Amino acid sequence: MGLTYLEKFRDPSLAKNLVAAIHKESRLTLRLMEVCGTHTMAIFRHGIRNILPETITLLSGPGCPVCVTAQKDIDAFVAVSRQPDVIVTTFGDLMRVPGSGTTLAGQKGAGADVRMVYSVFDAVTIARQNPEKQVVFCAVGFETTIPTIAAAVLMAAKEKVTNFSIYGANKLTPPALAALMTTPGVSIDGFILPGHVSVITGVDAYRSVFETHKVPSVITGFEPIDILHAVLMLVRQNESRVPALENAYPRAVRESGNPKAREVMHQVFTVGDAAWRGIGLIKNSGMELKPDFKAFDAGARFELNLTDVAEPKGCACGEILMGLKTPVACALYKKVCTPMTPVGPCMVSSEGACAAYYNYG
Amino acid sequence: MNAEKNNTILLDHGAGGKASHALFSEMILPLFSNEYLAMGDDGAVYSVPAGKMAFSTDSYVVDPIFFNGGNIGDLAVNGTVNDIAMCGAIPLYISVGLIIEEGLPINDFQEIITSMATAADRAGVKIVTGDTKVVPRGKADKIFINTSGVGMIPEGVNVSGSRALPGDKIILSGTMADHGIAILTAREGLTFDGDLKTDSAPLNHMVKTMLSSGCEVHVLRDPTRGGVGTTLNEIASQSGVGMTLFEKDLPIKKPVNGVCELLGFDPLYIANEGKLLAIVPEKQASKVLDLIKADTFGKNAAIIGEVTDQRPGKVFLETAIGGQRLVDMLTGEQLPRIC
Repeated sequence: MGLTYLEKFRDPSLAKNLVAAIHKESRLTLRLMEVCGTHTMAIFRHGIRNILPETITLLSGPGCPVCVTAQKDIDAFVAVSRQPDVIVTTFGDLMRVPGSGTTLAGQKGAGADVRMVYSVFDAVTIARQNPEKQVVFCAVGFETTIPTIAAAVLMAAKEKVTNFSIYGANKLTPPALAALMTTPGVSIDGFILPGHVSVITGVDAYRSVFETHKVPSVITGFEPIDILHAVLMLVRQNESRVPALENAYPRAVRESGNPKAREVMHQVFTVGDAAWRGIGLIKNSGMELKPDFKAFDAGARFELNLTDVAEPKGCACGEILMGLKTPVACALYKKVCTPMTPVGPCMVSSEGACAAYYNYG
Repeated sequence: MNAEKNNTILLDHGAGGKASHALFSEMILPLFSNEYLAMGDDGAVYSVPAGKMAFSTDSYVVDPIFFNGGNIGDLAVNGTVNDIAMCGAIPLYISVGLIIEEGLPINDFQEIITSMATAADRAGVKIVTGDTKVVPRGKADKIFINTSGVGMIPEGVNVSGSRALPGDKIILSGTMADHGIAILTAREGLTFDGDLKTDSAPLNHMVKTMLSSGCEVHVLRDPTRGGVGTTLNEIASQSGVGMTLFEKDLPIKKPVNGVCELLGFDPLYIANEGKLLAIVPEKQASKVLDLIKADTFGKNAAIIGEVTDQRPGKVFLETAIGGQRLVDMLTGEQLPRIC
């Protein structure tokens, strides 16, 4: 029986050949960063790190949407959940991320109406079903999720679902890469660029960062063969000293991405600055509701009285996201910070680097 | 009986008066009927054989109460039957405690207790004592069920989690994660193609066949909440041994695997309700595997790994592409990923 299409991307003999090629061709010591949290988890789940030669170090970048959500935004989600007659809707990952005081899961346990949804459209449905309540969606995520959130806002506007709003903390990938490359101490020899995000952005979105910094970059998918293939391409680019921006995921990613999705995204949102957990403010890396859609802004709808609270002392999530430290080098790792008692989001999110190190060793 | 007239459970049904009596004598007793329950005493009185007994209890608060392939009723019976069977015992008698929320449709109640009766018959156990309480609307979620059970352990049987030895083989009696994914998709109203059905089933007959075959079985355990990964960690820790699993040998249905991949779940940590892990000496592994495969609920059984003397207390997985990773105990509940 032949392999199905997807099984080919897990074929052990193909993997073996790729690993052998990487071992044979890799001479330079390389620090490669997977930008996406799903890549991080795939690398750990398939045990990819320990079959690569010692010359290659894989680092986890700022690509886990939960990990990069600023503590102040988590505090805002929690503050919204404390408002009377409010239903907070969120993706599962966000439930256990600690703010400065508590988590959404903690709020749920204390009696707040916090509901896990699988799509932002579920939140609109909940709003329709509960006209006497305010339904707020915690909008986190990158280019992969922003178009859907935009579409939900458009739907709510069209159907006059006035009790629905979003608290926006969405982020864009390319500005983060640019910020990373200008941060002192950051040294990266290659980017494994995110597959899902690139489906929307296309290859073009990375061109400016690439032209400026000339760091070898390969867009790839999430199967082990995809990732090993990308590693081999980055090894070859480095060994030949010819950096390039390559697309190793053509089965899903086009040069121009998905213009329709981007159109919907830009119909509702405009680019603004955003605070990244552990990294700080990155110019033009966030998304804000356009004036026409301000009625859907939960931040404006509720008086939240948020105060700035310092991020937990000793938490190295920021340095880990920038490839400056590995989780094991964090003073809190496995001591104070565990999946049961996470201090930083990198430990709580299923896509976080610390959680991956902790769970998969 | 006014339950039927109103079509829902009322607080009266738990008040101990005529309505309670009618609920028990007209609905419950005919289904659970046996000579011990029919005595109508405060508890069951029965003879016990000489030797060792196993005793176990569990409470079922599953949401939703009906799901593809079963409901809270047969789950509650199978769960306790399996807990007793995993002690190496032959389950004999079980008790049933029902906590019902006012307003539960009588038809739903009827379906649940009918499933319990069918499950008890299939497992060959008798429901010999029980209790029914009705609580005001909002004080419980439709129905909660507690089941406790006792069983007899045959002479010479000891299948404690502390008995795994280096060199032993690890057998899983079928596909992983079926129950957890069936519940998740029913609870969240997620619709996927493919057969996403609970594996809830009694395993006592399978256990009896294994233990009476003369084969040596070191450990038996059912990987319920926490899944195969957590259960094997518990055994590795109890026995002070290491374990290596082989990803290529892990049985999982394609649709179940698809849902796990989509939501970012690791099937090794998803609950099962009709599967067991048997740790057996290498020389008997293929015979035990054949016995399990011959059982109705063991057709997809496989040897999934081996016990080692390396890294005591740790479970490692050799991935299909030749890598290796730690399989730690599950922390908290798995949450679906964002992208």
